[in-house]
Amino acid sequence: MGIPITYTERELVLALKERDNQAFNFLYDNYAGALYSIIKQIITDNAELASDVLQEVFINIWRKIETYDQTKGRLFTWMLNIARNASIDTLRSKSYQNSQKNQELPDNVYKSVASQTTLMNVDNIGLKKVLEKLKAEHRILVELAYFKGFTHEEIAEMMSIPLGTVKTRIRNALLQLREYLQ
Amino acid sequence: MNVKEYISSGIIESYVMGLANESERTEFEQLCTQYPELVAARREFEERLEHHAFENAVPPPSMVKVKVMDSISPKIINMENSKAPVRSSGGLRFVAAASVILLIGLAWFSYQSHNKQDEALQELKNTNLALKEKLDTTQNILNKIVAEQKDVVSNPNVTVVNMVGTQTAPKSSANIYWDSTSSNVFLVVKNMPKLPSDQQYQLWALIDNKPKDLGVFDATDDKVILKMKNTQKAQAFAITIEQKGGSPSPTLQKMQSLGKTRQSQ
Repeated sequence: MGIPITYTERELVLALKERDNQAFNFLYDNYAGALYSIIKQIITDNAELASDVLQEVFINIWRKIETYDQTKGRLFTWMLNIARNASIDTLRSKSYQNSQKNQELPDNVYKSVASQTTLMNVDNIGLKKVLEKLKAEHRILVELAYFKGFTHEEIAEMMSIPLGTVKTRIRNALLQLREYLQ
Repeated sequence: MNVKEYISSGIIESYVMGLANESERTEFEQLCTQYPELVAARREFEERLEHHAFENAVPPPSMVKVKVMDSISPKIINMENSKAPVRSSGGLRFVAAASVILLIGLAWFSYQSHNKQDEALQELKNTNLALKEKLDTTQNILNKIVAEQKDVVSNPNVTVVNMVGTQTAPKSSANIYWDSTSSNVFLVVKNMPKLPSDQQYQLWALIDNKPKDLGVFDATDDKVILKMKNTQKAQAFAITIEQKGGSPSPTLQKMQSLGKTRQSQ
């Protein structure tokens, strides 16, 4: 029913801010796959939970569209960060932690995360696939910061490297990542 | 400031990917207002990231879309003339969907029998047309409902009356949207406890200390806008628990919620 409508990003944002359901329908059809991909790169072991997060993310986008500021970046960047934050929050939630069978003692959590992330994963998709091209010492920092949501300070402590080094390495890693995103 | 150096420091990537800290973010946003080349470089990285994300998209389960669209759709139930929900958009959508399926079926059927019976075809065309008209009206009603809901919330003549719980029911709460020009009264239930099946909530307008019945509703009509009976005047609105179908006068000891209007001041 109805004629398919396409929007420019500006038109789409305007229509969404006016609570236009058809625009939201378009938004979902066009962006859900890209956002689901990033969620699955963070919540790697539970597809059902990942789809719950996707649902939550879209409802949040609808609710918070007023706060999106076009001067600060593209619509997709804004939504990508919402999706990434929601996924990391889920990863850190108590219920998720409890669902993980092999519970580590709190002291060992950092180490176990670090050792897991050094392993290459054949199932890697999206950005994680690109990360494989980076040097291990760079890759692990981006993993911890971007996909696990640790702050630079936390990473410095868990990896026993100076904060300045963490920051420089992450920035260099991201610059390399940019080159691979052709 | 050396913009080139700043750009090649990795700040753009860090900012876009949400890894910059607060002071870095503030500084970056501030510099963006001064240096267009910074904005251009940010945009270029954002587009690369976006392009890559689209190339690597993973189709989500189809149920997610159903749930998302359902939870953002406006729902309005008219309580004016009847106790049962009269205009539920879900039902209309079903009618619309059913009409579409019928249309498709009929189109296919008419194609099949095209060579055989011209007369039957004409008849089918007429039915088709009639169905299409029906569908158009259904769509119109749907659009009207959506427009109506927008009006209620954004109309400057609409007063919002916040209904707070009484001592008997401290947690009960609801909002009244009252359009003083058209006398329309809309009710949004925020939190009302479930009632036994032989009881219903009843909304009253208090005019010069006399109650006027504005209709009954159930607690299950949560988070939808209910259109109640109109009133021109009201110093306050009150909600009571009554037997199913409502009472001619309110049972005041069972008052659940009360909200005063500006006419009372």
